[in-house]
Amino acid sequence: MLAIDVKDLRKKFNVQKNREGLSGALKDLFKREYNEVTAVKDISFQIPQGEICGYIGENGAGKSTTIKMLTGILVPTSGDIRVNGFIPYKDREKFVNGIGVVFGQRSQLWWDIGVIESFQLLRKVYRVSEQDFRKRLDVLVERLQLGELLNRPVRKLSLGQRMRCELVASLLHNPSILFLDEPTIGLDIVVKTEIRDFLMQMNKEQGTTILLTTHDLQDIEALCSRVIMLDDGRIIYDGGLDELKNRWSKGREIQFQFAAHTPLEKLKQLTDPLEVTWTLENEVTAKMWLPHAVSVSDALARVVGGTEIRDIKIFETNTDDIVRGIYQSGSAAAGKETVMS
Amino acid sequence: MRYLSLFWEYLKNYAKTRLTYRADFWIEVLSDLLFQGMNLIFILIVFQHTPSLGGWSEAEVVFVYGFFMIPFGIFSTFFGIWNFSERYIVKGEMDRVLTRPAHSLYQVLLENVDPPSLIGSFVGAVIMAICWTQLDLPFQIWDVLILALLVLGAVFIYAGLYTALSAISFYSDAPTGIVPLMYNIQNYGRYPVNIYNKVIRFMLTWLLPFAFVGVIPASYFLEKKADDLSQLALMTPVMGIVVFTLGLLLWNHGVKRYHGAGS
Repeated sequence: MLAIDVKDLRKKFNVQKNREGLSGALKDLFKREYNEVTAVKDISFQIPQGEICGYIGENGAGKSTTIKMLTGILVPTSGDIRVNGFIPYKDREKFVNGIGVVFGQRSQLWWDIGVIESFQLLRKVYRVSEQDFRKRLDVLVERLQLGELLNRPVRKLSLGQRMRCELVASLLHNPSILFLDEPTIGLDIVVKTEIRDFLMQMNKEQGTTILLTTHDLQDIEALCSRVIMLDDGRIIYDGGLDELKNRWSKGREIQFQFAAHTPLEKLKQLTDPLEVTWTLENEVTAKMWLPHAVSVSDALARVVGGTEIRDIKIFETNTDDIVRGIYQSGSAAAGKETVMS
Repeated sequence: MRYLSLFWEYLKNYAKTRLTYRADFWIEVLSDLLFQGMNLIFILIVFQHTPSLGGWSEAEVVFVYGFFMIPFGIFSTFFGIWNFSERYIVKGEMDRVLTRPAHSLYQVLLENVDPPSLIGSFVGAVIMAICWTQLDLPFQIWDVLILALLVLGAVFIYAGLYTALSAISFYSDAPTGIVPLMYNIQNYGRYPVNIYNKVIRFMLTWLLPFAFVGVIPASYFLEKKADDLSQLALMTPVMGIVVFTLGLLLWNHGVKRYHGAGS
């Protein structure tokens, strides 16, 4: 069954235009002008149950707007949404029982009371029985090591501690779909890893469907089997992470450390017919960049045959570089063209 | 039932947070009472210059004021949504509310309960009781029931008006000016409406029915006047239901237009 089914989803906002200067402000007072901004432009995608899907894009690409429509906060301008079989904004109160939501920038918890008290309140709001609540809480507390935090008020928690509590809060009612909007924003690497491991495990054990937006591509690499990339309100890529890499990484880089000084000309000579480029790092190290069209073994064989080598390192282009490239070129299609040309 | 138990839970949390700031709690009670006391003194000063106001004696006007304080205290306890636009719309806290399985207005109200305001209701009841004996009004046991009904109706009128007012924030970006304006208009409802001109009277009775929160229901217990407002008194609960329904409809419609804040 599909957990999320979105078809031709669109969201338009009227944004007030502020005219310049005092006279502009006065004009605004009497006659307002609005700009129509389409944040999400007819996107369609489907996410089957049990999948972890990363939703990425630049700031303002429409990620949060989509998530807000999927969670029933915003009403779409047009298009169809089905989440868990519900139309989110219509049966909102019934629908939200089956989903968990974490907004990295906004707290779900009550600021002044102890964490456990926030949890108890949520238990009542979601109508979870005391028994189920205890069971789930014990598991979650143990896994995320919240033990001694439970009695502290939220305002006295660090960001990492708070984020782990937010996760627990969103899972107390055992939702089948979890929406995470930048869950690792501002966290240190230890907490990030902890949260990733936790999400991975939960997805494996309970089959929870997870849709997360993030700017940290490490999150995506660690968690997601699938990536949806958004640019200016449109989906520009939807597919596996490996495929994304293969399609858009233009090549790889190999670093050689030679036994003795090797001039650039000599290296170029060695690999002469192949379309590779060399850069000299220092006296004894050089980097060779080769496009996908050139086979690694072929290039290596030529270099190894002609020089004495101490060390070799192969660098895959990392996801950050690929994604940055796509963002800069404006669309994935443009990236594709350059690959082909 | 579930909503009642939720109310109790929120109230317990309110107690836990607020009782940790004890001084703050008492200052709030005190400032509430001072504010009401000022209004009362104003009435007393007016009556030093005239024996009656549009045919109403001092004790009667104070009686009306005492009545008004009861629904107002209850309303302030449960509808402390003065800063709704600022907190929920501009800062986007509505997002959180909308991801939880309970009616959005109910959640917002629960998050803002303010029990100290109830003290105003008790003071109002005392003022009313004192005037009752001073005016030598007859007292029957069903007066208490009718009083309860009228108070409830008045609370619903307030609730409906302020729900509608808060719902405007869903449509307009910053309706900052409207709340203080409303706050001023509502004060007119505490005085006998026949002292105002026709337009204001009509407005206070039928458009922004603040007269139904003070003078109209209170007149039920007082001596009949020439224009007999007390005829309308029993309309108060009906008015309450109508106004609150309208407010709720506007809210439910408005929520669909909520457009969030920032990212």
